[in-house]
Amino acid sequence: MNLDWNVVWENRGLFLEGALVTVLLALASMALGIIGGLGLALARLSRHRVVSIPVALLVDVVRSTPVIMQIYWAYYVVPILTGLRLDALETGIITLAINVSAYNCEIFRAGIVSIRKGQWQAAMALGMGKARVLFEIILPQAIHRVIPALANIWVALFKNTSLVSTIAVADLTYVALTLRVETFRVLEILTAMAVLYWIMGYPQAKFADWLHKKFKVEE
Amino acid sequence: MTTEVKKLDNPEVVLRVERVCKSFGNLQVLKDVDLIVRKGEVVCLIGPSGSGKSTILRCINALEEIDSGKVQFRELTVGAKGTNLNDLRRRMGMVFQSFELFPHRSALDNVAIGPRRVLKLSKAVARERAIGLLRKVGLEDKADSWPANLSGGQQQRVAIARALAMEPEMMLFDEPTSALDPETVGEVLSVMKQLADEGMTMVIVTHEMNFARSVADRVVVFDKGRIIEEGPGRELFTAPKTERTIEFLRHIGWHGQPGEDNTRNKGVSDG
Repeated sequence: MNLDWNVVWENRGLFLEGALVTVLLALASMALGIIGGLGLALARLSRHRVVSIPVALLVDVVRSTPVIMQIYWAYYVVPILTGLRLDALETGIITLAINVSAYNCEIFRAGIVSIRKGQWQAAMALGMGKARVLFEIILPQAIHRVIPALANIWVALFKNTSLVSTIAVADLTYVALTLRVETFRVLEILTAMAVLYWIMGYPQAKFADWLHKKFKVEE
Repeated sequence: MTTEVKKLDNPEVVLRVERVCKSFGNLQVLKDVDLIVRKGEVVCLIGPSGSGKSTILRCINALEEIDSGKVQFRELTVGAKGTNLNDLRRRMGMVFQSFELFPHRSALDNVAIGPRRVLKLSKAVARERAIGLLRKVGLEDKADSWPANLSGGQQQRVAIARALAMEPEMMLFDEPTSALDPETVGEVLSVMKQLADEGMTMVIVTHEMNFARSVADRVVVFDKGRIIEEGPGRELFTAPKTERTIEFLRHIGWHGQPGEDNTRNKGVSDG
């Protein structure tokens, strides 16, 4: 076998840029997905069905279809339906953010309902309004409980970012797959891609494990 | 001080409950309950499990809605249009069976959060007040402890301090010692006795018969959603009038031991 690792080194700039795009995609969509997930969770817990039912529907649709389909749909169908065209990177971030929001919604919802009713009552007995009870008493406890689950979502999201390469967002996957075609050095290029993903992903998985231990629910 | 004298000194009615009914589904838990509490009075509600005594307490500060009847606290009518329930609850302290301290906040912050967030006191003033109250319940040294690191009795004393921090006009206690280890019951009861001695208006749901007998100005017996008997503790425990009360007292092992200062009936296990 005739290996040529030089091709990897020569393209190190492209690889690093791709890796950077991957990290940015994950960070941006997770940040939006936490805010979105919390918003959806509160909407889903609303007593008003006009609010809670559409959200439940959205969450179910997102969770029961493949991410790659959602990305294609967002990139090719939504512009036809709405006349609104975003560039590939924006589409990628927003689609991943919506996807993660749906999963986070269920996590936050479970966290909120897991807090004993007595906590609501104790806070209300002090004269706090419901919104204040939610934000000062319930959510801090709920978020503490769901941090390990959010870490799992993050680890999955980080890998799912690779799917936006299908709409030509220049992330690590897109860069590697393009270089593979241009250089014909399949083994070297794909190995470099694998190593880079692993170097980035492994500490995250370990960090998630650590969070699981640290935030273990004790009651 | 006898009950009569105390009532004459303070004829002012703080709480008036009139013909209150409440059902959970098909089960009617309160049937035409009437109750009047005057300023400075200590009223103990006793009775078997499921007799409605905890429910009436929760109806008083609107944690449960009543189906019919009327709950009047000072100038506020619970459930009437225009009654701000947050204002109502702010003026009544409530202590729960399971403490319900906020686990993500220190003992001090548990006590300070009400004054800080609801009464809008400055951080320094709220903190000062919280420290004073922790001292009052004997836990000044635990100010920085997390609730999880306190014993049940300590947690309940912090919970009492938390309720007192709002400077309530009345305190409601919902079986405050039922979840406690026997050895920590006394410390909570003595804090409550101290409050009673200071003239706090208190409504207490309890299974601590010695405490009810020695501290309560009036004992009210609930059975199947109704008040079946009420009267001064000494009379009620020595000469109960209704058959049902006699049966209940016998059932929980009340033998009428005297013990003036013993607020703990060792024969009673809570549940």
